Amino acid sequence: MYRLALKMLLGDRAKYIMLVGGLTFASLLMTQQCAVFFGLLSWTTSHMRNMRASIWVVDPKVEQINEIKPMRDTDVNRVRSVTGVEFAVPLYTGVIQARIADGSFKPVEMIGLDATTLVGRPPRILSGRLEDLRRPNTVMIDELAVQRLSLSKDHPLRIGDTFEINDREARVIGICRTDRHFFGYPYVYTSYDQALQFAPRTRKMLSIVLAEPAPGWTATQTARQIEKETQLKAYTEDEFEKSTIRWFFLNTGIPASFGTTILLGFIVGMAVSGQTFYSFVLENLKHLGALKAMGASNGLLARMLLLQAFTVGMIGYGLGVGLTVLFGLAVLKKGQPPFLMPYQLPLFTLVVILIICAFAALLGIRKIYKLEPAVVFRG
Amino acid sequence: MAENNNNGNSNGLAVHVREVSKTFGAGETRIQALKGVDFDARKGEMLMVVGPSGCGKTTLLSVIAGTLQFDGGEIDVFGTPLHGLKQREITEFRKRTVGFIFQQFNLIPTISLLENVSVPLLINGVRRSVAEKKSRDLLEQLGLGGRENDLPLLLSGGQQQRVAIARALVHDPKLVICDEPTSALDKDTGAKIMESLRAVARHPERCVIVVTHDNRVFKYADRMTEMEDGRVHKVHETYGHYQQNEGT
Repeated sequence: MYRLALKMLLGDRAKYIMLVGGLTFASLLMTQQCAVFFGLLSWTTSHMRNMRASIWVVDPKVEQINEIKPMRDTDVNRVRSVTGVEFAVPLYTGVIQARIADGSFKPVEMIGLDATTLVGRPPRILSGRLEDLRRPNTVMIDELAVQRLSLSKDHPLRIGDTFEINDREARVIGICRTDRHFFGYPYVYTSYDQALQFAPRTRKMLSIVLAEPAPGWTATQTARQIEKETQLKAYTEDEFEKSTIRWFFLNTGIPASFGTTILLGFIVGMAVSGQTFYSFVLENLKHLGALKAMGASNGLLARMLLLQAFTVGMIGYGLGVGLTVLFGLAVLKKGQPPFLMPYQLPLFTLVVILIICAFAALLGIRKIYKLEPAVVFRG
Repeated sequence: MAENNNNGNSNGLAVHVREVSKTFGAGETRIQALKGVDFDARKGEMLMVVGPSGCGKTTLLSVIAGTLQFDGGEIDVFGTPLHGLKQREITEFRKRTVGFIFQQFNLIPTISLLENVSVPLLINGVRRSVAEKKSRDLLEQLGLGGRENDLPLLLSGGQQQRVAIARALVHDPKLVICDEPTSALDKDTGAKIMESLRAVARHPERCVIVVTHDNRVFKYADRMTEMEDGRVHKVHETYGHYQQNEGT
């Protein structure tokens, strides 16, 4: 009977295509929008991945990585003196205008690393040596900076080329690969002391203190100890990530706008498939009534409807997720819009699509349970 | 399910209906469709139930077939008392005992003739290969050999009704219920269908009950039961008897 149920479904081409189309659209919308949303969220913490440390010590008012309030230079030594700290190094981070050879200005995210340890180094160096940052007026730039700061595509910026930052010459000693900055700025790495020279002078210049826990201490224990002894805010990597994401949830319209689109996908999927499947059941009511008269139990008919609903659901789900993957492959090459599809996302969409299908089937099953088999004698 | 050992009443009755009543609606819209109906059908006969529209023919057919619950009275079909059966048991009764032929054929348009005919066997849990073999043989007997894989819409009305007959008989039901089987057919096709149904009824353990308006086919009846206003008005032992009473 299940085979016949599938043939009944496939035989009604128009309804079948509409059902699969509706569920594909819902699956695509939910998966793709969630993936873009997760990608955007991952961008909010990309700044951290481009520096990397176990403990991040910042001003007590700082809640997220993209919004830094400078501290006094002496705060580095205060952190170093805390029990449980293996080492602590200063780090400068800030947006600065770079001037290229044709005289135009481009904003860049400058990272100033401790020259001795180079802690906070870029995640992947493509060419050059990071140690060369210890030489005066040197910078390591990421691939986006090569694009943005070059005069033309034919003459990309190379090792040895120069540009200006705050009227000072900056010589490129290497190219690195970074995660894209939330605001789309290219990265320029230099030493901490050099960064203080490049950046406009202010009363406080220290952005972050990066620290590591001493042997026998966890990052969390050390962070709490730093807070206790210095009254600064110390985050572990995980805590800072969560705090950053929480900040974006509470202070921006991003979750609401994406949430609305995802909800829309759910509602459209539910409405289109529910309505179409219900009308499919209504159109087949005469035949379902005949089957019921011939002795098909409510349970058998319900299982047939569930099979039909879940079949279109799985096909629509597969197509929707497949199209999302194609979208992802296309945009990942370009780098935007943001896209991140953890394995939990297709599972989430699968569960939602199954809920939509169950809802659609239940509408039909309710009708079947109420259907009197004698209806077949009423012409 | 309760069932007599003698597989029916000892006096040869297939269907035994006593004082059956059925009401639809409530209050001002209440309609009593059956008002204490007494009715018998014998094994091996084709019985026609006739009467004007709204007299309760289809309601009577529905309660005998177990597709509609009745309010009071007793119905015994081939030894199975329908009164007091649970819904699940009534479904089981229909599945094993009753074959249906509908006015509009009710064939599923998106599956083949072979699959349509196999449906009652599949509902009864018979394996698909066995069901299809039996269905193929039956279609062959009804003159539809070679068209097993066609869809119903490719067939004429008469051919579709023959498929419906095959579907009604494929699981060897004891009771075959026909609701206006010829009303959608022309005279000649209707006559052929009635010949087929009469042949079906010629079985010692089977009974065919036909509800019809179509006076062109009354002559095929072994007996006729005339209904009026929710009651059995007259029972005619032969078509001739009916003609005499009607003065035609």
